[in-house]
Amino acid sequence: MQIKVKVNGKEHISDVTPMQSLAAYLREELQLTGTHIGCDTSSCGSCTIIVNGKAVKSCTLLAAQVDGDEITTIEGLAQNGEMHPLQSAFKENHGLQCGFCTPGMIMTAVNLLEDNPKPSEEEIRHGLEGNFCRCTGYHNIVKSIQHAADSMK
Amino acid sequence: MIIQGKYPVSASSQDVWNQLMDPEVLKRITPGISDLTPLGEDEYQAFSTIKIGPVKGNFKGQLKMKDKVENAAATIVIDQKSQIGNVSAEIRMQLNNIGNATEIDYEGNAKLSGKLAMMGQRIIGGVVSTLSKQFFKALDKEINHN
Amino acid sequence: MSNYIGKSVKRREDDRFITGKGTYTDDISLPGMTHLAFVRSPYAHAKIKSINTKAATSHPGVVAVFTGEDCGNFGVPCGWQVNFKNGDTMKEPPHPLLAVGKARHVGENVAAVIAETLQDARDAAELVEVDYEELPAVTDANAAIQAGAPLVHDDIPNNTVFDFEIGNPKPDVDAAIDSSSHVTKLNFRNQRLAPNAIEPRSYIADYDVTVDKYTLYTSTQNPHLIRLLMCAFVLGLPEHKVRVISKDVGGGFGSKIYHYTEEALVTWASKEIGRPIKWTSDRSEAFLTDAHGRDYVTTAEMGFDKDGKITALRVHSEANLGAYLSTFSTACPTYLHGTLAQGCYTTPLINIDITATFTNTNPVDAYRGAGRPEMTYLIEHLMDTAALEMKKDAAELRKINFIPAFDGVNEPGYQTQVALQYDSGNYQATLDRALEMVDYDQFRKDQEASRKNGKLLGIGFSTYIEACGIAPSAVVGSLGARAGLYESAHVRVQPTGKVSVFTGSHSHGQGHETSYAQFVADKLGIPMEDVDIIHGDTNEVAFGMGTYGSRSLAVGGSAIIKSLDKIIEKGAKIAAHKLEAAEEDLEYGEGKWAVKGTDKSIAFGDVSLTAYVPHDYPEGLEPGLDFSSFYDPTNFTYPFGAHIAVVEVDKDTGKVDLKRFIACDDVGNVINPMIVDGQIHGGVAQGVGQALLEGVAYDENGQMISGSYMDYAMPRADDFPFFETDRKVTPCPHNPLGVKGAGEAGTIGSTPAVANAVMDAISHLGVKDIQMPLTPERVWRAMNT
Repeated sequence: MQIKVKVNGKEHISDVTPMQSLAAYLREELQLTGTHIGCDTSSCGSCTIIVNGKAVKSCTLLAAQVDGDEITTIEGLAQNGEMHPLQSAFKENHGLQCGFCTPGMIMTAVNLLEDNPKPSEEEIRHGLEGNFCRCTGYHNIVKSIQHAADSMK
Repeated sequence: MIIQGKYPVSASSQDVWNQLMDPEVLKRITPGISDLTPLGEDEYQAFSTIKIGPVKGNFKGQLKMKDKVENAAATIVIDQKSQIGNVSAEIRMQLNNIGNATEIDYEGNAKLSGKLAMMGQRIIGGVVSTLSKQFFKALDKEINHN
Repeated sequence: MSNYIGKSVKRREDDRFITGKGTYTDDISLPGMTHLAFVRSPYAHAKIKSINTKAATSHPGVVAVFTGEDCGNFGVPCGWQVNFKNGDTMKEPPHPLLAVGKARHVGENVAAVIAETLQDARDAAELVEVDYEELPAVTDANAAIQAGAPLVHDDIPNNTVFDFEIGNPKPDVDAAIDSSSHVTKLNFRNQRLAPNAIEPRSYIADYDVTVDKYTLYTSTQNPHLIRLLMCAFVLGLPEHKVRVISKDVGGGFGSKIYHYTEEALVTWASKEIGRPIKWTSDRSEAFLTDAHGRDYVTTAEMGFDKDGKITALRVHSEANLGAYLSTFSTACPTYLHGTLAQGCYTTPLINIDITATFTNTNPVDAYRGAGRPEMTYLIEHLMDTAALEMKKDAAELRKINFIPAFDGVNEPGYQTQVALQYDSGNYQATLDRALEMVDYDQFRKDQEASRKNGKLLGIGFSTYIEACGIAPSAVVGSLGARAGLYESAHVRVQPTGKVSVFTGSHSHGQGHETSYAQFVADKLGIPMEDVDIIHGDTNEVAFGMGTYGSRSLAVGGSAIIKSLDKIIEKGAKIAAHKLEAAEEDLEYGEGKWAVKGTDKSIAFGDVSLTAYVPHDYPEGLEPGLDFSSFYDPTNFTYPFGAHIAVVEVDKDTGKVDLKRFIACDDVGNVINPMIVDGQIHGGVAQGVGQALLEGVAYDENGQMISGSYMDYAMPRADDFPFFETDRKVTPCPHNPLGVKGAGEAGTIGSTPAVANAVMDAISHLGVKDIQMPLTPERVWRAMNT
């Protein structure tokens, strides 16, 4: 079937198979490999992207479900060569090590700060429950989000 | 995994026995079963579709009745295979007369493998108990509404 | 002068990761690439009576279907030979790429289906009909050695891989334990863990018939080791015809060290079908087949005299190695575990006795810490338990037993009872600092007060030591290692003075591209921007042993220093010629060779250009400025530290709340404090995960019942507070950077601190010991029985 979808500001008309996950579509058809697949139970959050302004896990959505939707992936977060404050904060605060969970973490955090621009530490930790990181112990991820929140005031 | 329970059916043990030994009835009352073909005496080939939590499988395999004591007891041996894993079970059923009714007392052991064991184990207890209830309820209905 | 060393320079690799431009193996797509799906055993132990591949082969899109019969002679080897106590060679059964005759654990590869698309491969894999005869299985290390236990390998009696003993003669240790005034005894299980790198394993093999060469893209921690093992021991391929590339790797924690059957199978099959093949594990497969960690059944006894001085340590463990021997599995319970039994205490008599067993479970190998977390848990849990039993203060008990400080330069290294000689240490210093950070005296007062208010606060200690950068090669070789444990480095100074550094160590999150560039830039006195670090490709890097065991900087960094020394030495000859000075009158610093006591100097860039444009050049000197080095350390390095956990246990639910976690570590010199802190944070989180949350469970038939993120409790952001870290610095005396390694320290130290804190919180309720993980259910049960 055919879908029309706007990804990172660019419109795509694609033929997708009924079984194709949104994550697979982004990675394989659009070569947007910054969206990672870390599990098959929508638990790890590595595949988190923004669909119509909300963070969602793209491994459990079908490509066919996003017909007419607007999508932002990690590749579309920086604007005019300028990093999003969260991207800068993750680098500044060592909020990543292997980098695999990072795109999903950042996209989740983007949504978190949109919903709650001044989150407490507890609210940040709670907001990250759906994203696994095995490298950082979450310490510097939480710090990164706190710093981004401060810088976005 | 241990499977056990009791289920009262308002019919004589002879009625219950007759129904349980009839492949056509078994086919109608066993949850998920789509085909039951006799292979020999007390031995059937069975096809079924069962969904357990996140996993769903099309099962194929054998179903046997053994150690039969007419109107009183029998053992069902199930050996079902699917791409999501296999099930083998041996369940002893006792039919106890209680007045005009029969209490079916069943006890046995089931072994799961593959994805079924990996993903399904967490909730299998509940699923088995639901399926057993469905089975006996259907049996009751079969006897009392025909 | 240090412009970069010791500074928290932001990581240069982050730019690609925060923009989604990293290249993990699964991100790569090759023209004409096919996809592979495995048919895996649903049984823990079963005879394979027949395999019918007919329906799968004729499924649309299927290119080939392979079974064990097709590649039956190939098997992956174990990398470390351990002998039985009586000198017999360990039992090392073949580990076939696809099961032959029998499947020995759930998830073992039974057949491989290759198709045009992944969906076709998976659909067709479901059509492969395998006729199994299920056999009784054994999953527990102790049950496996009992008489009558099912045999995992028919010809290996008692499922025993080897038995192993290290330390003092057992009768001496027995006598010391018997005559001790107090003996603390624990029986416990150090539970099995799943490493759970968030990037699943992924392999792409590409055989190019026109040049008869293979390229393997793999998510490995050590590309050269994979090439060596696969070429020399598995497929018999000429090594110069095989290129192994490992780009960005999404975490490993040990699980991506090993040469896996899938890796070799994909490489072999690529030539069979003449096309590239990709296989990427899904999470279920990762749970079933990524080598697990830990899994020991242990009895440990520690004797004390009336003053609390340790008199002896006696340990017997069964170590579960799974159904086959993974690459470094045999080294874990022995040379990485038994050898750490001294801890940081003066224990005079130690006997460690280990039996390694086969079971019908996934292979077990090194997982962050590898043998050392298990020994540290053993010693440190004994210490806090003993303190509770003897009504002594756990911090005091450590103080009277610590090995006194020694720097390894003026004072000699410390010879342990279990073979190792520690390089340098100051154990009291890290504990003192940690006690200060937690405000110990105040805590005990708070604890007392909170108990009156019905709250269960507890504090737990762990003063750990570990052994990193395992070496030297000759020693590990004599202990059975089938590889050397040195590292290589190639430094190429480009004509314009820019520097390319090729290292055989390989980052999977550690930030080598940044911290290596920091010390290279400092050593040469040039800007960091002029230094590039290249790793992860056997065609670019001459050789290497990869990254594991916290070895990269201590071993890989030292190899780079050797090459830099050679460059400075050769550069001096060129500089002397250009400056018309004697070589011995020159000194190198801040990016130039200067004639001592004058203002005459020549810059690094000018010397580099001269080396490649040798018109005015020293006679007889080769052009170029390009050096390779191999560094084989003289000893392990021994980081240490003190970890303190503060917990509150919920009386009604048994839930453990980690309130504070304090870590004062000493990892020797530090190049990038930000990165080292990050390593400690991540390590601590994994150690806390073992203490409170994680565990791989098999049911009685050998089915894994913790095979998804809905069943295996991964630590999440809200399981932790911010960690409180600090450092002491006792430099390593035997490597040029004075570094010890920081990758595993957090994991090794933290687990017992948390377990001890829980016991401290609830032991007054009569609770004796609880098996990890300390889940609410277990803690509640312990408090309520």
